Amino acid sequence: MSLIERPPSRADTPAQQRPAPKDPGGWRLGFYRFDTKLMPYLLVAPFFILFAVFGLFPIIFNGVVALRNWRLDDPTQTGWAGFENFSKLLGDDDFWNALINTFGIFILSSVPQLLLALMIANLLNRKLRATTWWRVGVLLPYVTPVAASTLVFAVFFTRDGGMANWVLSLVGIGTENPIDWRADKWSSWIAIATMVNWKWIGYNALLYLSAMQSIPKDVYEAAAVDGAGPWRQLWQITVPMIQPVVVFTVILSTIGGLQLFNEPMLFDENPAGASGGSNGQYQTIAQLIYKVGWKDLNLGYAAAMSWALFLIILVVAGLNALATNRLGGGGKR
Amino acid sequence: MERFGKRGGSVVAAGLAAMLVVAGCSGESLESGNTDSNGNAQVTLKVNFWGDMGLDKLKADYEKANPNVKIVLNSGEFNAQHEDLQKKLVAGNGAPDISAVDEGFIVQFRSQADKFVNLNDKGAGSYESKYLPWKWKNSQSPDGKQIGLGTDVGGLAMCYRSDLFKAAGLPTERDEVSALWPTWDKFIETGKTYVKNSKKKFVDSGTNLFNPVNAQQPVGFYDEQDKLVMEGGPKVAFDVSMKAIEAGLSANLQSFQPNWDQGFKKDQFAVLACPAWMLGHIQKTAPDQAGKWDIATIPGGAGNWGGSWWTIPSQGKNVDEAYKFVEWMIQPAQQIEVFKTVGNLPSQPALYKDPAVLDFKKEFMSNAPTGQIFATTAENLKPQYLGRKNGPTRVAVENVITRVQQGKLSTSAAWAEAVKEAEKAATS
Repeated sequence: MSLIERPPSRADTPAQQRPAPKDPGGWRLGFYRFDTKLMPYLLVAPFFILFAVFGLFPIIFNGVVALRNWRLDDPTQTGWAGFENFSKLLGDDDFWNALINTFGIFILSSVPQLLLALMIANLLNRKLRATTWWRVGVLLPYVTPVAASTLVFAVFFTRDGGMANWVLSLVGIGTENPIDWRADKWSSWIAIATMVNWKWIGYNALLYLSAMQSIPKDVYEAAAVDGAGPWRQLWQITVPMIQPVVVFTVILSTIGGLQLFNEPMLFDENPAGASGGSNGQYQTIAQLIYKVGWKDLNLGYAAAMSWALFLIILVVAGLNALATNRLGGGGKR
Repeated sequence: MERFGKRGGSVVAAGLAAMLVVAGCSGESLESGNTDSNGNAQVTLKVNFWGDMGLDKLKADYEKANPNVKIVLNSGEFNAQHEDLQKKLVAGNGAPDISAVDEGFIVQFRSQADKFVNLNDKGAGSYESKYLPWKWKNSQSPDGKQIGLGTDVGGLAMCYRSDLFKAAGLPTERDEVSALWPTWDKFIETGKTYVKNSKKKFVDSGTNLFNPVNAQQPVGFYDEQDKLVMEGGPKVAFDVSMKAIEAGLSANLQSFQPNWDQGFKKDQFAVLACPAWMLGHIQKTAPDQAGKWDIATIPGGAGNWGGSWWTIPSQGKNVDEAYKFVEWMIQPAQQIEVFKTVGNLPSQPALYKDPAVLDFKKEFMSNAPTGQIFATTAENLKPQYLGRKNGPTRVAVENVITRVQQGKLSTSAAWAEAVKEAEKAATS
């Protein structure tokens, strides 16, 4: 990016322009113009071309499909549907159920995730033995492929002989009737949120940590002299000073949380059905979209759901960013 | 939760796609330029399937007999292969020349028959009389196009643990055990005796009773006009599974889940409705139970679970060569060869009289004559029309049964709920 932003330095410019009148239309001048005017665009072009092909085009095409009837299992149903798919969405119990599940799991995962990440980052920011080891250690869950870790968690949260139930039985919970994690909304949400938290806490902690290290130490010293304890320092110095990073992580975890797919999918007892439990207890919107598109083979309706999800994410991410901005003495900017 | 993963993934995918396109083009242009000594153009046939379908030797034999044909075998994961085929059909290119399609997905692809070569146009109609009638029918579109030629069928028998039966005071010989349950009602009675004597559960789950019973009915979820008829066959099957759950026979385990595999090892159930291909799974899951399993006939006398077809997507460049290979693969000699290598039971009843099938005994299953047992159950099954929405409807009803087993729904209220969910699936 520095190539684009940096203006040609003053020293170069006259030196290169001086010979120009002697040799009008020379290739040097042409190259120079090309280099300053066009080169930056050429250099950023690959990203925008890829974005157009893999980002913009799918979004627009998805919007077109959302306004059409497109059923794979019945090729005779085709043509424009107008807003029929969207109006069907409003009365679809499955969609609202999935929306509630998605938000439930999102809150259960994002809030503890970011709070714990903050605590861990705060701990890692102190003088510890083997600092690098700890810092790499918290990132390990993030490096683990989600399919691998989720499969382990799926075994962890089984009814008979699962480790989660074994741990709970040590404190006397569910010794008679072990918890059937997939049967209820609350238990399946906790299980899935645990998988999400496990994966992302370390990642967020490292982001916070890198931001914390740019906070000058004398601020803390001054606060300590004034009698502020570690807790107060965290909330009144650290959080406000790393606030841009906090906003960033909140937006990212909102997007990720609302698009949750792999975890509920691999947690499902019947992945071929993609129904998110026997009664849709933990079917997220992304999973419902997949089911409607590739199991019910109704691509038009699935596209409408995708667009609805896109809009929901925009609104929620915006609201969250706004709320976080106000948090912790923000709003000055 | 894919954050940076998505974009990173698409960039990588773009690079890969570009590489594949380049590789693909160069490969094709080279091959199409080549001709063999007889002047036949070189063709490459890509065959997609899952697991091991015993094709390695067939590939070598065919390539030797047809030097102008090169066969590329591409085995993948079961669900992924079907989904990949569906996506390539929508995209209009990239599908393999030949693709295996399983029973659970055949209805979905049958309703897109225009995306496949109608094998009747290639002369496949002459094979109709050789196939099990239901096998032939299931891969046929409503307007009579044939999209696939059958390879294997699962058949369906009742695997049981002879050691657990003995401990519960039940007979252990396979003929005596088969005589215990000519009907499903008798089967449930046997289960009650077992549970009373052993204090253990009898079957793995209610859904594994519902599905075979439903498949035995003359009409399943849908009639031939594609109208949902829950009060017929599905009601009969649902009642059997509810009776079993009420009597406390079910261990409430979901097939192919970690809990289920644990259930084998912990003796959580004593019987399991098993198709031919399930024997491999039992052997792999509980290898130390060799000789403790045996096979009896299934109540009701007939059944099937699984089995596949060879299909040819019409977007392929070499559909004629592809058909020649498929036609060769379904010939008796090759089908017997596959049965010998991997145990997949052919779907042409004439082959059930072949000594290779007739005399086959499975050592792990107490030397049960598995060839005979599974062939009989497959042969006796009457053809049933599978509706366009058969797959989603089955999942919906299975979920209701699971809810009963999870204690979230009473057996008395379950049927109304099953009808409601099935209707929702039918109109989805």
